[in-house]
This record gives sequence, structure tokens and C-alpha cells, in this order.
Amino acid sequence: MASRLGGLGIAAIGLLFAAPLAYLVVRSVGEAGRLGEFIVADTTLVPLVRTVVLAAAVGLTTAALGTAVAWATVRCDVPGRRVLRALAVVPIVLPSFVGATALLAGFARGGLVADLLGPLGVDGLPRISGFWGAWFVLSLFTYPLVLLPVAARLTGLPASLEESGRLLGGSPWTVARTVVWPQVRSSVAAGALLVVLYTISDFGVVSLMRYGTLTQQIYLAKLDPTAWLPLSLVLAALALIVTAGERLTVRREARRPLVRGPAASAVRLGRWRWPVAGMLAALVAVAVVGPLAVLASWVVRGATSGSEAVALRLDPTDLVGPAVSTVTTSTAAAVLAVVLVLPVARSLARGHQRTAPVASVLVVAGYALPGLVVALALVFWSLSSDLGAVLYQTVPLLVLAYALHFGAQAMRGATVATESVPDRLADAARSLGARPWRRFRSVELPLLMPGLLAGAGLVVVSAMKELPATLLLAPAGFSTLATSIWSAYEFGSYAQMGLDALVLAAVSGVMTWLVVLRRAEST
Amino acid sequence: MLAGVLSACGGEETTTGDGSTPEASSGRLVVYSGRSEELVGPLFERFEQETGVDLDIRYGESDDLALAIEQEGDRGQVDLFVTQSPGAVGYLSAADLLQPIDQAVLDRVRPEDRSAEGTWVGLSARARVLAYNTTELTPDQLPDSVFDLTDPAWSGRVGVAPTNGSFIDFVSGMRQLVGDERTEAWLAGMAANASPTYPKNSAILEAVVRAEVPTGLVNHYYREVAAQEDPNLPAANHFFPNGDPGSMLLVTAAAVPTSAADPAGAAELMSFLLSDESQKFLADDEFEYPLAIGVAPPGSLPPLTDLPVTRLDLDRLGDDLTSTIDMIRASGLQE
Repeated sequence: MASRLGGLGIAAIGLLFAAPLAYLVVRSVGEAGRLGEFIVADTTLVPLVRTVVLAAAVGLTTAALGTAVAWATVRCDVPGRRVLRALAVVPIVLPSFVGATALLAGFARGGLVADLLGPLGVDGLPRISGFWGAWFVLSLFTYPLVLLPVAARLTGLPASLEESGRLLGGSPWTVARTVVWPQVRSSVAAGALLVVLYTISDFGVVSLMRYGTLTQQIYLAKLDPTAWLPLSLVLAALALIVTAGERLTVRREARRPLVRGPAASAVRLGRWRWPVAGMLAALVAVAVVGPLAVLASWVVRGATSGSEAVALRLDPTDLVGPAVSTVTTSTAAAVLAVVLVLPVARSLARGHQRTAPVASVLVVAGYALPGLVVALALVFWSLSSDLGAVLYQTVPLLVLAYALHFGAQAMRGATVATESVPDRLADAARSLGARPWRRFRSVELPLLMPGLLAGAGLVVVSAMKELPATLLLAPAGFSTLATSIWSAYEFGSYAQMGLDALVLAAVSGVMTWLVVLRRAEST
Repeated sequence: MLAGVLSACGGEETTTGDGSTPEASSGRLVVYSGRSEELVGPLFERFEQETGVDLDIRYGESDDLALAIEQEGDRGQVDLFVTQSPGAVGYLSAADLLQPIDQAVLDRVRPEDRSAEGTWVGLSARARVLAYNTTELTPDQLPDSVFDLTDPAWSGRVGVAPTNGSFIDFVSGMRQLVGDERTEAWLAGMAANASPTYPKNSAILEAVVRAEVPTGLVNHYYREVAAQEDPNLPAANHFFPNGDPGSMLLVTAAAVPTSAADPAGAAELMSFLLSDESQKFLADDEFEYPLAIGVAPPGSLPPLTDLPVTRLDLDRLGDDLTSTIDMIRASGLQE
């Protein structure tokens, strides 16, 4: 009986996360006649192929880059590795259109990079655009989605594993490949899956790079439902296929041993220490320092122009209000997301419910839907009932929107965390007479915490920069840092946009540090 | 009722004996604004101060807000929709989601600056221009017509934003002014010239400023704002002379959804936005063309009468949107 109830609960959570998808289906029913012809038309197939190619390229690149950075900064004796790792996470905190705009300006003729390279005789950098531009910028801004889970996994691995490998005569490279890789493989795949889904959903970068993916075409045709609905359905189908495919094909590592060994001794890189540190520094320079420097240069230019029309809103209350709204709503969203996905993750790890795998695919695939589609779906569903209408355009509904859109990011951490709790612990607690809630709270939860926080941290960062749903679903007059940035961008005030973006990066960076990195350091 | 509206629009506060403001039935209006807070926020604030009416303002992308209004349907609470792009009101008008506006409000602008059915009214306008880099080009090197830009001499030298809303509206307008055939030929010519493409107006202007491309087709206003941040900006606007379609006007508009709770309050707000004072603010502080009859544009811009405004049918613009997007796509201009 309890099991059946549990199954229904898991199914209900899955359905909740499928709300945006269901909205697309409901809206499309009336258009069924035109759908068939539209889906096979070039206007759909070409963007579909572009989306697949771009998502695959960015996914593979970030899998390699994120894993390499994680391995180098967690397992190797690279000088300054803690600082480098903390900095390497920063790209994830900037809204993609801000990062892309800053990078474009930085690399453009007459931009920051050209100014730096000019004295060296380098003239005329290639213009960043099209497929390669989108690939470059998206890879640079999403690899932390791989870096974070892989770094967490590597941190938790007992040193004894590698030491045994080395005692048996393996070189660092052989040990990494044969001993470490099987342990992190599924973390890499899970991170790369998030990158792939994010790439499918991204509008900011592909529109600036003018690369016509499905999402770019959906936004372009948004005033024509006969065009954007079928495009969205194709996108959703692609997301479901990719997500289910990852579930079915990637081998899960054996349950992580609970025994935590002493902190792993660092792999000695020898004469490669400094070159590796140099490469990491170069990555940080391009992905973090560069964009932030461009943003700062806009602030300085605007602040020193002496024009009254661009008076910067430097008044702290103007910045603090949106910052507080941003932090509170995104934190609430992260908590809600974790609460919603944890039961699914537990069932999945225990194999308790047959509905769990389906529910988990629905949770994760929803991440690929463009933000505007998620926002419109919530307008539709909340106004379809009297209770929902009361919640419409209130903070709770906004928080729910964030949790549904970004729950995928909490899923992986929750799954890994539940897998690490051995059944025998719960059995022991049961035999001692502890009731289920107490068993969960006092035995499981402390062990789950690091994994849950890692997932929650990603949800926080995503919710902090979310724009389309915030604009449509927040209460009137409610502004977040992301809406302030957007407002300044629309107006063409780069100075104000730069300032707001720097505040977002700082707040978001601190949140990431507190929630994710500090934990990883201490475990 | 009209008297109340007009007195409010004159900026005089008329109060009844108990101190409440007449006509503002609920004392609260819901506004969806596709125009950014930086632009119109000061006007809304002044309205609140003068009338005591509270405005619940939601800022967003014009098209997204139109989609939300459509999705809200009968449950919608929006009293006034202010839009940046003509397409968004055209879309709602075509879907019968807008109600007729008070004639007194409509009459503040010329007939060509409002909907024939009275479902929307123009508030201000932006002119399409050719922005150019002043260190690379002099005014006498610039063409008299946008149609000259397909000449091989301009190959690769004109930035365009084929997926941007204002470019799409511009092409729709061109179809109305010169017909589909000439429009298709122009698009094909621009594509054959390998005109570099950008995502939006501001990106084109940035590229012009750093001389990545010497000229670009944009709305006039971006250069004016950028010049405020950077007084030495090496870019200027070229208005195509003699009523050339290249310098047509694109209006920003206001409309009242059918589900509005307080249409009278919305009319009061529209009257305020079209008052001399508000229109002067839009002209002098935001460099836009005011549309209220009798208000002069900023001195730096050519007079309205020199521009080919003339009956851009926004209602049709909404209908034409899809076919315009298809036409641009077919031309090969868009990647």
C-alpha cells in the first residue's frame, strides 16, 4: 500500500515537471493539421540538425574541458589550484547574453583583446560568429556544469584507490584512465547532459552569434503559433530522446564506498606543474577575467563620460533591493527543487518504483525547454484554475517556475547522494526501532547533505540569472538583478548593464562558494 | 467622464470633496510595458504623483507580453499595453483581443499614427536610418535611397539585423510602400552583397562604432543614446531624403486589452502619455519623435513631414509578419 502511494507520489512529481511539455501538447491540438507538414519542412529540419550538431560539439568539449580542469585542480599538485578552481567556476554565474556580449566586444576589432595584442603585431582577430562562435562561447560558459560534479566526485574518492594503482606500477596517466575514470564517468556524463540540454535551450548566445538553432527559430517566430509550437514540440522530443538515451547507455559506477579515506595525496606533475597552471590561468583569463574586465570598462566609461543622461544608479538601495530579491527567490527555488527531486532520486537509487525512471527523465528533459515556453506554460496552467489564478504573478509561483525549470540540476546531486547511503545503515536504524522520518532525518540526511547542496547550488545560480519567466511571472514592480541587467541592455546603457552584471557575478560567486565549493573543500 | 479625462491630461489635479480623484475608479491600473523602465518609467511615476493612481507595471519584451496577454485571455487584468514594436499590437489586434480606444485619445495623433479600427494609438516613433562611421565616410558619400545599397559598391559594407523585430517591421512596411516584388529584389540584392548580419540594432551600432562595418541599417535612437555615454562617438545617423522608405517611421503604441478592468483609467493614462509635457519628455530626453499633434521633435532630427510615415498599416503588419519572416528567410539574407 505504502509502495503504491509512493509510486503515485513519484508519478505526480513527474507530471508536475512535465507541465510545460503538456502545455505544448494542449496548445498544439488545434494546429494538428499543419504540424505534420511543418515538422518535415526544411524550416524545422535545418534548425534541428544545427541544434544537434551544436549541442553534441559543446557537450563533448565541456566534458573534456570540465573533467581536465577538475582533475588538475583536485588531484594534481598544480600551484594555486584552490584559487584556480574557485575562479574556474565563475563563468556559470553570468547570464549567457551578457557573457557573449562582453566576449564579442572583447575580441572585436578595437576591443580589449585587440588592444592587448596590438603591440605584439597581431591585427584582425577572427570575428566570433556562426557555429564556431556559438560553440566557443557556450563551451566557455557551461563547462562548470561538468567541472562541479566531477570535482565533487574526485574530492570524495578515497586516496587508497589511486595509491593502489600507483603501487602496482601505473603511471599517473594510466592510473587516471584505469582507476579514476571509471569512478567519475557517470558524473562526467551527467554534467555533459546538462550542458547539452542547456545548449538546446539557449537563446542568448545563439542569437548573438546568429546561429539558427531550434530555440533561435522559436524566438524569431514567437508571434506565429503555427511555427513556434511545432518547433517547440520537436525540441521537446529531442530533449526527451537525449535524456532517456543517457539513462539507458551510460554505465553507472558501483555504489560509492562509504568509507572515506584520508585526503588523496596529490598526483605529482613534475615539470608539467607550471605549464598546467599556465593553461588553467589562460582559461580563467579568457572565460572569467576577460568578460569581467569588459563589463568593468563599460562601467568606467559610462561613469567618466560626464553626461547626465547616463547617471549610473549607484545608490546602494537600487542595487540591494534587486540583489535581495534575487538571492531569496533563487534560494527558495533551490530548496523546493531539492524537496521535489529527492523522492524521485531515492526511488531511482533503490529501484523501488517503476515510475521513478520516467519521472526522472521528465524532470531532467524539462531543462532543455526555452525559458519563454516554460513561462507561457505556467501562465496557462495557473490561470486554468481558481486557486492557480490567486497565485498568478506572485512570488510562490515564480519560485515554482524556477524549481520546475531547473530541477534537473538538483537531480544528479540527489541521485549520487542517495546512492552513497548504504541500505545497511537504514536497516540498522530500523532494527533499533527508529521511525521512518527519524531514520531519514538523523541517519540519511547528514550523509545526503553534500550532494543535495551541490545540486541546490546549481539551481541557485541558474535561477539568479533567469529572465523570461521572471519578467512574466514575478509580481509587478519586482526586480531582480537579471531584470535590471536586461532593462539596461534594452535601453542601450552598457554602463548600467556592466555594473548590474558585476554585482550579479559577485553575489552569485559568493553563493556558489558558500553552498558548493566550501563544502567540497571541507569534505 | 470625458471632462475628467481631459483635465487629468492637462496635468491639473481635480479632486472631489472627499479628496478622492474622479474617474480613477479603482485607484489602481495594471500596465504591461514593452518599453523599458529607463525610457518610460519617469512618465509613469509622474502620472502616479499627479493622479494618485497606483500603477502596477510589468516591464518585458513587447512580443512576450503580447503572448502573455493572449494566454491570460478572459482572466487577464491588464488595463494598458504599451509596446515597443508595432508587430505586438498588430498581433493582438488580429486576434480580436483589443478594445476600441476613446475617440478623444485617438484624436491626439494624426490618423496615420493610429489604428483604423481605433484599437491602438501611436505614442512616439523611431525612424529607420543608415548609421555610419564618421571617420570612414563623409555625408556626401552616402546614398539618397535605401535601394542604392544593393549596388556592388556597397558590397559587405552595410550591417543588417534580419532576425530583429524592427528590421522585420521595416521590411513589412517596405512591402506596403513599394510592393512585394521590389522588396524581394531589395532583400536579394542585400544578400547578394553579402551584407554582414547582426542580432540587433545595438550590435550593428557597436560594429559601426568600432569600424567593423562602415554602415548599418538601424533605428535612429541607438546612436543618440550611445552618444550620451561616449561624447566622442565616431558614428552619425543618415536620414534618406525625399520620403525614401529607408527612413520610414516605426511607431511605439498603446492599446487596451478586451479584458481590461478599468478602460476609463487606461484612457486617462493614454491621455497623459500623449500630453504635451510627456511628449516633450520623450522628444527631448529620449530622442524620439513625439506623435501628439503640435509637439515638435528634438532639434537634432529632421521634421516628421520629411519622413515617409504614411499609412504603415500596423493591423496588416501583424498579419504580414509570418510572410515577411518567410520572405527574409527565402532571400538568403538570414543564416
